[in-house]
Amino acid sequence: MDPLGIFNDLLLGFQIAFSLQNLVFCFLGVTLGTLIGVLPGIGPVTGVAILIPITFGLNATAAIITMAGVYYGAMYGGSTTSILINVPGESSSVMTTLDGYQMAKQGRAGPALGMAAFSSFLAGTLAVVMLTFIAPPLANVALAFGPPEYFALTFTGLTLVTSLSGESMLKGIMSGVFGLIVACVGVDAISGQERFTFGNIYLLDGLGFIGVAVGLFAVAEVLVNLEEPLKQVFVETKLSLRGLFPNLQDWKDSLGPIGRSSLLGFFIGVLPGAGATIASFMSYAMEKKLSRHPERFGTGAIEGVAAPEGANNAAAGGAMVPLLTLGIPGSGTTAVLLGALLIHGLRPGPLLFQTNPDFVWGVIASMYIGNVLLLVLNLPLVGMWASILRVPYKILMPLIVTLSAVGVFATDTNVFDMWVMFAFGIIGYLMRKLEFPAAPAVLGLVLGPLVERSLRQSLTISHGDLSIFFTRPISAVLTICALLSLCVPLARALWRSRRKPAAVRP
Amino acid sequence: MRRADQVTGIIILAFSLAVMEGSRRLPPSGTFGPGAGFLPFWLGALMAVLSVMLIVTANRRPGTAPRDPLFSNPWVLAPVLFTVGGLAAYILLLERMGFLLATALLSAFLLGVVERETWSKSVLVAVLNSVALYVIFRLVLGVSLPRNAFGF
Repeated sequence: MDPLGIFNDLLLGFQIAFSLQNLVFCFLGVTLGTLIGVLPGIGPVTGVAILIPITFGLNATAAIITMAGVYYGAMYGGSTTSILINVPGESSSVMTTLDGYQMAKQGRAGPALGMAAFSSFLAGTLAVVMLTFIAPPLANVALAFGPPEYFALTFTGLTLVTSLSGESMLKGIMSGVFGLIVACVGVDAISGQERFTFGNIYLLDGLGFIGVAVGLFAVAEVLVNLEEPLKQVFVETKLSLRGLFPNLQDWKDSLGPIGRSSLLGFFIGVLPGAGATIASFMSYAMEKKLSRHPERFGTGAIEGVAAPEGANNAAAGGAMVPLLTLGIPGSGTTAVLLGALLIHGLRPGPLLFQTNPDFVWGVIASMYIGNVLLLVLNLPLVGMWASILRVPYKILMPLIVTLSAVGVFATDTNVFDMWVMFAFGIIGYLMRKLEFPAAPAVLGLVLGPLVERSLRQSLTISHGDLSIFFTRPISAVLTICALLSLCVPLARALWRSRRKPAAVRP
Repeated sequence: MRRADQVTGIIILAFSLAVMEGSRRLPPSGTFGPGAGFLPFWLGALMAVLSVMLIVTANRRPGTAPRDPLFSNPWVLAPVLFTVGGLAAYILLLERMGFLLATALLSAFLLGVVERETWSKSVLVAVLNSVALYVIFRLVLGVSLPRNAFGF
């Protein structure tokens, strides 16, 4: 696709994103995202899951603009909490606590917050630019995919996510397979046969995605937090707008790291399996290695704030690439987003760019606008967000529980969905206690029907011969990648355990 | 973690065998190609193998401490059980009590009993929360929420 065509499409996108309704929802999304980012104990996955029922009545474009806004908005907000109270607002802001909190203790909370916002903005915008120019050609390539390629692709996505999430790969895979099994409940789309419905009419349509997702994330998160109350220690700071601007030396130290972390974060985001959290860890490690003064890291170096904050925002932009072009989510949050897209009747994948260009480009354009809105929200208003941190989690907990329950009820106005949420809330809680990651399960649930269809279609084409996945070039490469991603970490773990006990990770 | 992993492994193994048995009763192949029982059967088989691996490797998998108690002390479970129980009661009673009353009661219970907030504050937050949710879902989004015999 030529660049001129992309500009034309982007222009169309801006026309859609600048409509009053979409602007309002973009603003709502990024504001909610910042709020969710600031509040520890509620993450972007939970936020997006709760929002699905609330945005149910909107058109698809406005709904996804809102939810995407929550996703990348949370990346901005997380830094505020990290810097001011040394508790990461999100898992993707863990690295920001190291230098950010030190800066706050040295009385430099202002520049730290300011640099976090600027770095997020620069990296976030750069990531959307890359998304704009990489997604269309990628979608064009993917247009040639048949069922075997599609199966190989989903298979690769699933294995990468399961092998990269959490400490134990075995548990990650089990979680993914569990999701796939849950996806089998209901009427089989190909043969019309009922499966695992136990005569329950509510199960004919399968287990409701919203109930499962809200249960696994929102309810489980609340239950886990009940056990370990969050301790919050404030660094008292007076925040003025002028005090937020980093000085010239800060900028000199940070521009390089911001550029590098944007690129690194974006490409990590594009890979399925590694999301914003891993991106922020890697960019911090990279800057420390590249720095001429690595000893400054951990004592309040501004690069230590700029790099991970840039990387997590860039990763959020990058994660939209496989979601929109291939229909393969790379993380828990994008898996929930994919579920939302399917609920709105859109089928993400290469065809989306041709069948719904207004939707795709509207969402992409809204991300440019959202990043500008976030910069405005986070610089002058950072004092307001800091004071929200004083609202105790106590008050928040009942609000999250009731909002989740009502939201799940509202989608189909039936109580059965609330029981699904209830059951999966308990399952999610047990999974966390037993260290099974929840993201692969949701991914399996969302991708299940697509995996099954492409697998059975492929086997029908080949008369049951499995070699079809290895004889077509693209599908062969992808299948081999998937098998490698399963086998390499296992081999490495065996190798490591033979040499010495596993090193403790930071 | 070791013991916990072994118990989990056994439960999951039983679950996978049930899935395999359930899929076996479905037609294994359709008119063209594999049928409805095909994927769930093999997923169940895969899960069974994985759960055996979990049980066998529970002792030597890296990253799991041999004796890491699941709960620091049994008392931390109390708020969790209260919340789960409160939510179950809410779902059971929602259609009989009506949305406004049930939601206010659940919020008050969670704040007052689980979080041990003062009662006056709990009731205030509970009422505000219930009304706010009613406004959002009933008035703005137009969802028909359950009403009780008295009409609210």
